[in-house]
Order: sequence, then structure tokens, then C-alpha cells
Amino acid sequence: MATTLTINGETKSFDAPADMPLLCVLRDILGMTGTKFGCGIAQCGACTVHVDGKAVRSCVLPISTVANRAITTIEHVGSTPAGAKVQKAWLDAEVIQCGYCQSGQIMSAAALLAATPNPDDADIDAAMAGNICRCGTYVRIREAIKLAASGRQS
Amino acid sequence: MRILAGIVVIAIVAVVAGVFIIRGPGPLDFAGGTKVALADYRAGKPTGVPAKLEKASLVERGEYLAKAADCMVCHTKPGETEYSGGLAFKLPFGTLYSTNITPDKDTGIGNYSDQDFLNAVQRGKRHDGARLYPAMPYTSYTYMSDEDVLAVKAYLFSLPAVRATAPDNTLSFPFNQRWAMIFWSAVFNPDTRFAPDTSKSPEWNRGAYLAEALAHCGECHTPRNLGFALDNRKKFAGAITAGWHAFNISSDKATGLGNWSDADLISYLSLGHAPGHGSASGPMGEAVDHSFSQFAPEDIKSIVAYLRSVPPVSSPDLLATTAPVAPASHKDGVTADARGKKVFASACASCHGWSGESPVSPMATLTGTWAVNDPAATNVAQIVISGTKRHTPDGALSMPSFGNAYTDDEIAAVANYVTARFGAKGSKLTAKDVAQLREQTAE
Repeated sequence: MATTLTINGETKSFDAPADMPLLCVLRDILGMTGTKFGCGIAQCGACTVHVDGKAVRSCVLPISTVANRAITTIEHVGSTPAGAKVQKAWLDAEVIQCGYCQSGQIMSAAALLAATPNPDDADIDAAMAGNICRCGTYVRIREAIKLAASGRQS
Repeated sequence: MRILAGIVVIAIVAVVAGVFIIRGPGPLDFAGGTKVALADYRAGKPTGVPAKLEKASLVERGEYLAKAADCMVCHTKPGETEYSGGLAFKLPFGTLYSTNITPDKDTGIGNYSDQDFLNAVQRGKRHDGARLYPAMPYTSYTYMSDEDVLAVKAYLFSLPAVRATAPDNTLSFPFNQRWAMIFWSAVFNPDTRFAPDTSKSPEWNRGAYLAEALAHCGECHTPRNLGFALDNRKKFAGAITAGWHAFNISSDKATGLGNWSDADLISYLSLGHAPGHGSASGPMGEAVDHSFSQFAPEDIKSIVAYLRSVPPVSSPDLLATTAPVAPASHKDGVTADARGKKVFASACASCHGWSGESPVSPMATLTGTWAVNDPAATNVAQIVISGTKRHTPDGALSMPSFGNAYTDDEIAAVANYVTARFGAKGSKLTAKDVAQLREQTAE
């Protein structure tokens, strides 16, 4: 089925079944491999993207539900104000270990800061609980989110 | 001697009166109009197939009717060939298995004559004379016309024969006494065909035939009486079936369908979703996927017209109003169950949102659904355990099953949190309740 989606501000047209998950379209059809496949059942957060600015799991999201909506991926989140702050803080705090979950972590953190510019620990828990990191970088993730929110970045 | 005869007479009268009281009215008695035999009804054709299939072959007509009667879902074990049987029904008194209704001569219905098939579908009597248990809804199918039953037979006989024997039932005494179903049938199976009501419109009559004889709505949505038969005094007032709450579909405004628009009902039946009313899941999801979604649009409209006429019965277990949208922030609103909130944040929030209005799809919106407004949280717990998959013309949308990922305790906590945050009254489920719900669910 011919489908058109708006991804990172660009119009992308391709041929895919209506119930194909957005993640498969991103990675396998469009070659945008920054978004990761983790569990495939919306439980790990590695595949997080933004739809209309909200963090959602692309692995269970059929493309039929996101036509005419603004999709942002890790490739483009750095050009949003919150995304730019988060990426900078991630580097400053040296959050990343193996890195596999981190594009999802960054997408969730950027959506959090866009909606809640000064999150407390409870806000961070509520927004980030669905993003799992097997290296256990949670402490640095929390620190980096606070750093990004503080505006104290170098 | 005279005293003994008196006691016997009183006992017989008491039994007959008791049976009469327990049995109550039939499924269409509420309409009260003048009933005529099908052959004498001239205003329309309530039975058979819709106009577009009028000229189709017998097998094609049978296929439409078999789908309308939703035979396949119960007669198929997940992963096996359609209609080859073996699906387990977990009942409080043991497990029943559905049978193979492909035309295999040894293990299916290949040796059934037309009369054998009519006996099974309309009277609950098997080819070998044994009685069927009413898990097979023959007390509904009994209203089907002979012509329609035999069209279904022709369709089933057009399918490839599959060799498959269902496991033996594991019912406990006295339910394992199949012969006793003779008495049950004598009391509870009217063994009568659909009789149109001349005081009602042809559309109503078509809807009544579809809803009662074929779709057998009451089998899940009508509470059962002492004899495990439908209690039509509370017709369509809602009941727990196969571990899921089949909600009130009477015309009651507060707890039934009285406030649903026609467009909502048409959308829910044909697509499994209506804006603000949630999405069909569990057994109703299956009914939509395999049955209602295949109905001709005019047949769906007829069912809606019929549902509108069913007298209102309120469900005392539900509150009169559903809850509005919850606050957008996780901090506002009810946060009684900290553990439930934790599970919700990690497993649910990314699709359902903190407000209950899904950022992903209206089909995943929780606000306004009966599931989250049910203080028993039955369907919330069930959908968390088993997940769901909805098929629409635009593709499928699914929720993963969490039954293996979370403990009974965690599922109870998240169900309690969800009903408190998004519903009218929070539930008080315990791990034990969730364990029981798991047991009741069919495969």
C-alpha cells in the first residue's frame, strides 16, 4: 500500500502494509537505523520516537495510525530545543555505556523536558520508567536530565 | 393413601411452578406483539442472507450465516485448522472441549444427515443420540430456520475434512452425566423457530433474528438463572462470561446502550471500536473480527434497531456515570496505589497517556470505557493478562499481553490504579482475584 508519512519534517513515501509497525518502516524501508529494536512489545523503550511531540513506542505503532502526524526520530531530535539540550547534557555527563537503549532514552527525556521544563524526581520516574537500560546508567540519566533542565551546561 | 396422593400432587405442582419461575420469559417475550409463523409473514424476510447474496450459491449463503452465528471461534483451537474443534471452555465444574465440525467421517460431522444436523443445532442432540451441553448455544440456534441451518451445513461440508479428536471433557459429578441434559433441554430449550412479530418493522424482525438466532448475544450478555440458562427477566443486563465482563447492552441510559448514538453502535459492531466507548476485546473482540465485521451494513443497522427496543435494565454494579478525562500530569489525580502507578509508568503510559486519552490512537483511549469504569476491574485485569488485537480497515492495532511479564500482585495493583485514575470508582483486586481470572479465561 502506498503510504506517505511526515518524518523529521520531510515527506516520505513508500510501499508498506497498513499494519506494519513504524519501527520497521524507519529501519528496514527508510534505512533510519538510529531508532533501535529492543523487545518488540513496547516494554523496553529502545524504539521510542515522538508523534506530535509525545514519546511513543514505534515497535507496536501501525503506520495507519500516524498518517498526517509529525514524527520525530533520534536523527532529528537535536534540532528541537529540548532535544539539543538533552544531547549536550548526555555528552557532558557521559551517560552512555553500551549505547543500545540510549536513542530511546534521549527521545523520552526530550519529550519530558519539552512538556515539563523543570522536572523533579517523580516526573523523571513517571516519564522514564518505560525505558530500560541493561548497563544500569539510570543514575547518570537522571543527572543528565537535571543538567539539561538547569541550563548550567557548558 | 389420599394424603400421599395429595403430597405427590403438591410436589408436582411445586416442581412445575418452580421450573416455570426459574425458566422465566423467552428471549423475545418482551416485545409482546402478535407473532406469526415465518411462512405467514409477508412484510419482509427476517431469515436468510442479505440482498446482495440472495442469488449466491447455497455454500456462499451458508458461509455468511455460519459467520453470523460465529461457529468458527468456538470450534477452533488457536493455531489449528478452522472448525476442527478442541477449544477448551473452562467452567467452574470442569473443562469442556468443542468438537470438530469439519466433514471428516470419523472425527467430524461427515456422517451427519440433514436431520442429524438440525437435531444438533436446534435441539442439542448429537448424531449418536447423546445430548450436547449448552456451551453449544442451541437454545439460541433453535430459532434459526431449517433452511438457514442447512445452508450452514452445506458450507461446513464444503470445507476440507480434518481428522481431529477433541480431548475428553473433565466435568465433575453431577455435570458429567450427559443424559441428564435431556431434562435441562426439556425445561430450557424452547425448540421453536423464529416467529416474526407483525407489530414491529421488518428491520426489527431481521435484527431480532440476527441477534437472537444467529449472533446469540444473550449467551454472554444476559445473566444466568439457577439452572445456568438465560434469565430473560434481566435480558442483556450484562454478565461475566469466560472470565470477561460482557457489559449491559439493554437500552438503559446510564449503564446500557441508551446513550450510545446509532453511529457509535454501528462503528462498535462493525469495526470493534467507537470513539469514547473504547475497543472490543476478549470474546467480543473475537465476535467482531470473525462475525460482526463480516455482516452486511443493513444487517448491522437491523441489529441496532433491535437492540434499541430491548427494555432498560440497570446494572447495580456499575456507577451511573463514567469518569471524565484524568489530569495530564501524573502528579494530579488519584495516586492511591504507588505500586500500580509504577507498573503503569513503565508498561502502560507510553500508549495510554497519563490522561487516559491515548497519544497513539483513539482505539487505545481509556477514558469513557466501561472497562475502566467497572469497580470490579474484570476486563482491565483480563486485557492486561491476555492483550488484544483489533483489526480495522486501516490495519491492526494491538496491545501486548502482560500475563507472563507481571505477577498477579502487580496486575492487581495496576488494575486498581487504572480504575481509580481513569474510572468512576477504583477497584480493590487482590492477587487471588487475578489468579482466579486467569483460570476462567478460555485459551
